[in-house]
Amino acid sequence: MEQPPKPRLLIGKPGLDGHDRGAKYVAQILRDAGFEVVYTGIRRSPEQIVDTAIQEDVAAIGLSLLSGAHNALFGRVLELLRSRGAEDILVFGGGTIPPKDVPRLKEMGVAAVFTPGTPARQIVETIEGLLVQRQTA
Amino acid sequence: MSVAQRVAVSWHSVTVMERNLDELVSEARSAGPRSQRAAARLMSVMTDQPHRLAELLAGSRDWPQPRLVLGVTGAPGSGKSTLTDHLVAELRTRHPHSKIGIVAVDPSSPFTGGALLGDRVRMMRHATDPQVFIRSLASRGHLGGLALGAKGVVRVMGLIGCDVVVIETVGVGQSEVEIAQNADLVVVVLAPGQGDSIQLLKAGLMEAGDVFVVNKSDKPDALQLQRELATMLERSRIARLDLAHPSAVPLACHGPQLVGPEGPIDMQRDRPPPAVRTVWDDDTPQVFFCSAANHEGIKELAAALEQMTHSHAAQWQARRRRQAAAEIRHAVLEEVQRRVTAALQQNGNEELIEGILAGEISLDQLADHLMRESVSRSQTSPLSVDAS
Repeated sequence: MEQPPKPRLLIGKPGLDGHDRGAKYVAQILRDAGFEVVYTGIRRSPEQIVDTAIQEDVAAIGLSLLSGAHNALFGRVLELLRSRGAEDILVFGGGTIPPKDVPRLKEMGVAAVFTPGTPARQIVETIEGLLVQRQTA
Repeated sequence: MSVAQRVAVSWHSVTVMERNLDELVSEARSAGPRSQRAAARLMSVMTDQPHRLAELLAGSRDWPQPRLVLGVTGAPGSGKSTLTDHLVAELRTRHPHSKIGIVAVDPSSPFTGGALLGDRVRMMRHATDPQVFIRSLASRGHLGGLALGAKGVVRVMGLIGCDVVVIETVGVGQSEVEIAQNADLVVVVLAPGQGDSIQLLKAGLMEAGDVFVVNKSDKPDALQLQRELATMLERSRIARLDLAHPSAVPLACHGPQLVGPEGPIDMQRDRPPPAVRTVWDDDTPQVFFCSAANHEGIKELAAALEQMTHSHAAQWQARRRRQAAAEIRHAVLEEVQRRVTAALQQNGNEELIEGILAGEISLDQLADHLMRESVSRSQTSPLSVDAS
């Protein structure tokens, strides 16, 4: 039986914190929701993440961060994507991100931010919604 | 239809239309800033459109091909990704100007279709190297240790100028040896703790290796594995010589010496000090004793692979021809499967299925009928071969 291919996603941890429980958990729920998830592991540079996303032709990048450097690192990823002509790749994020920073991240171009305690189903449905929206836009 | 599938459908229909193949090919081939993106997209076309694979592979015949396609296979956790990472680092040092491709396959879930592609975690030092292109693939239900589009992805790597392509299979068991039909040279990676010498005697994986690596050589049981492997290969070698012998004349054994068709078999020749490398003759796979994570034995392995690239070139041309034949057979079978599935789903064929259930039609008859029906519904113009 022929099945249409599924979008590929990337889950990565930029920056210096090594707390990968959240990133691995989100990678797992997305895997179980039927996505192909490229996992990069911890302590990656924005450059490594963007180059990987391009070579892997993913539809979206999920960044997990617990270090507090989200404004700088998310911004750098978005900037690199633009400079590589790959701004169509969605960027979402998660981790210990203060609610007051979320509007600013969204303004920068982060499509969604999932803070601790977000239900798995909500994460999956939000990402799926964003992907459909992006494709039909 | 699950939500993920719904996403997939909309994803598929839009991207296929927007992707003009010729444009992607010329962009990928250029050295421009968008070449990587175009190559990556082209790889997606290869993996996402299995029904067009035959056409795409035919269209890619004139693309430059990698000089060496190296397969790396072995059980889960034996160190394939780490070995690939270190081997590529070694090749990059030896040839700073050559481009290298890595195709890393991980399994898809047979339950959800999802996949966790984690081979890259071991290879991140190459992520920003413009001379290395890494692509992870999910097996998508394809058995045999590879993914259906893997061959197409290798072609695209050839197109963008990769000199060497390393294909890392999923963690394999005993019988997933499709890599042998897809690579010039297969490295089988073994690690201690995966079973006794009986496992080495079994058919399948152990026959597919052109080169063996006993990895994790720093582990206590590694030496034991190395010895068992050496014994297995020596036994294979003697069996090969024995079988080649005229049936009336047994392989002669004169005291400590065995005599084969090409004269005495010197059991002591090149008997290893077990460090790093074991070899008996040109037809016996070499064995390397490595600790990939510590970059031990990797230099020797890289040097031997390069040497083999030169000495085996003619043999590989023949192997690639055989692979092309297998590719054709595979494409035909895929196409037949697709058409038969479509025919079975067509209206009117429920009666036939009812007939089978009622015992009015035999399965043979139905199979015949479906095949005729599928073949007659040809979708492309007939093949013509230019005589000139």
